[in-house]
Amino acid sequence: MRAEDIMIPVIDFLKPDDTLKKAVILLRTTRSGEECIGSKGLPVKDDFGKLVGILSMRDVLKAMLPFYMDMLDLGDFSWEGMVEGIAKRSGERLVRDIMSKVVVAVSKDAPLMECIDHMLKHGVKRLPVIGETGAVIGMLYEHNLFLAITKEMFYED
Amino acid sequence: MIAEGSATQQIVMDKSFWAATAVFGISYSLIVSERIHKTIIAIFGAALVIAMGILSQQEAFHSEELGVDWNVIFLLISMMLIVNIMRPTGIFEYIAIKSAKIGKGEPFKILAIFAIVTAFISAFLDNVTTVLLITPVTLLIADALDVDPIPYLISCALASNIGGTATLIGDPPNIMIASKAKLDFMEFIYHLTPAIILIMAVYLLAIKLIWGKKLKTKDELKARIMKMNEKEAIKDYSMLGKSLFVLSITIIGFIAHGMLGLEPATIAMLGAGLLLLLSRKPNLHSIFSEVEWATIFFFIGLFIIIGGIVKVGLIDLASLKVLDITKGNLFAMSMIIMWFSAFASAIVDNIPYVATMNPLIIDMAHKLWPNQAGIQLLHNPQLMPIWWSLALGACLGGNGTAIGASANVVIVGMSEKMGNKITFAKFLIYGMPIMILTMIISTIYVWLRYYVFYF
Repeated sequence: MRAEDIMIPVIDFLKPDDTLKKAVILLRTTRSGEECIGSKGLPVKDDFGKLVGILSMRDVLKAMLPFYMDMLDLGDFSWEGMVEGIAKRSGERLVRDIMSKVVVAVSKDAPLMECIDHMLKHGVKRLPVIGETGAVIGMLYEHNLFLAITKEMFYED
Repeated sequence: MIAEGSATQQIVMDKSFWAATAVFGISYSLIVSERIHKTIIAIFGAALVIAMGILSQQEAFHSEELGVDWNVIFLLISMMLIVNIMRPTGIFEYIAIKSAKIGKGEPFKILAIFAIVTAFISAFLDNVTTVLLITPVTLLIADALDVDPIPYLISCALASNIGGTATLIGDPPNIMIASKAKLDFMEFIYHLTPAIILIMAVYLLAIKLIWGKKLKTKDELKARIMKMNEKEAIKDYSMLGKSLFVLSITIIGFIAHGMLGLEPATIAMLGAGLLLLLSRKPNLHSIFSEVEWATIFFFIGLFIIIGGIVKVGLIDLASLKVLDITKGNLFAMSMIIMWFSAFASAIVDNIPYVATMNPLIIDMAHKLWPNQAGIQLLHNPQLMPIWWSLALGACLGGNGTAIGASANVVIVGMSEKMGNKITFAKFLIYGMPIMILTMIISTIYVWLRYYVFYF
């Protein structure tokens, strides 16, 4: 099997200048796969169609955490309503400032081992799959790999 | 007062004089320009000094007069190790949260208490470390109270620079001065701490005037602070106990090092060694990798570059000039050194500045009192106020501009991350008047204490 065989085709993309508000609507409503609505992460493409990042749910969570809470262990001293306040102020922030910029992508012909290797070594849960033209044609999720692995365990060739 | 025509040997302006002068001049200009990292410049410059034969490697590595001052290096490394071991215990978060609760959630009270706590911690730990440990909590508190965090950031940097001046181990210039002038911990406590307590009191009044009325919050937000449980900050009680025990012993060691005949670096190494020994399975890799090696090698490189210009006589030449300008009037010299140091340190890094001033002052002392040597010369009662003036000027001068001290650079970086950058001009509006105010107090202090009442 290759990446292309188990990936989920992507229909919707984000742009770096989209607001977070617009992006989360897309994250919540995009169609991924046959029945699934909503996605855990979408690729971000610039005006030339080049892949520049991924915006995932985790990135949205990270955008809530003030930088100073990263410097020391201060989670115990937060208060109810802190996240809600930051969320309300974050709607107009731009995707480019929140997305994960380091993107590991695989080509559509990549064997599954390459996909697993990238996911584990780079600590990511999804990989954009690049087609012949260099454009992103799909997303490969941890879940897709898991299903492919389990399939092998239960079915003979 | 000045011994006319005292024993100044002829300075030979040969090839190595110009080579050492060029390495020094170019290195310092590059450090000021900030185009290349200062550590890279210092290490490369030092290597050139040795490679060109200005200093032999033996002199650069082992000479007390011309080479690396290992007393400074080991003191810095050991104190960094102690902090690296203490940090994960949560003690600093605990102190900061507790301070905010003592302030009952009143924004200005908290600002003032944080200033005092920061100054106090800075007196014993590196300023940048203190700022990195305290500001995250102050920013959290400012968010909780929904007040402007900028005053908290600026005050934290200013207070850390003031507090660092109080002791031998508080700020690198003091460590360097103490090592070269053979001054002990208690002499710094006796001569500088009273000045800093006075300056801190005036500083608190100043911030009351600047920010006292502007910082306001609602009562329901104060409740957020009072709900915080500072005990949750402590992650490792056993390690905390050991850390506090070793830190106390180390400070007692500093207090007694003069009497014990041990250098401060020895005391700090004993402290770091004991704390490592007491830690159960210490993560040595992270404790040692968090030592700021770039800063340490910056010092090492600088010492060698300065050793070069001392050996070839450039410092000798400069000290003749200063003596010429001041006509041997020591009060004038002390005042000129204090104010010049302040403005110099506001513009450039005070570490290379003090590294250059130390041998310069010692050279002047040789010319002023040619018949004295060793401790008798370094601790000449007329020379002592000059050391204190240098320390006060070089440390407090850091408050003048956003680039004057590393602590300032750190808080400017943080404000940038918050998306509300403290510009150079904005820092100057607060920093420069505070610097001048603290210099005026220092001037009066030095004048009254050493030139009017002589105690």
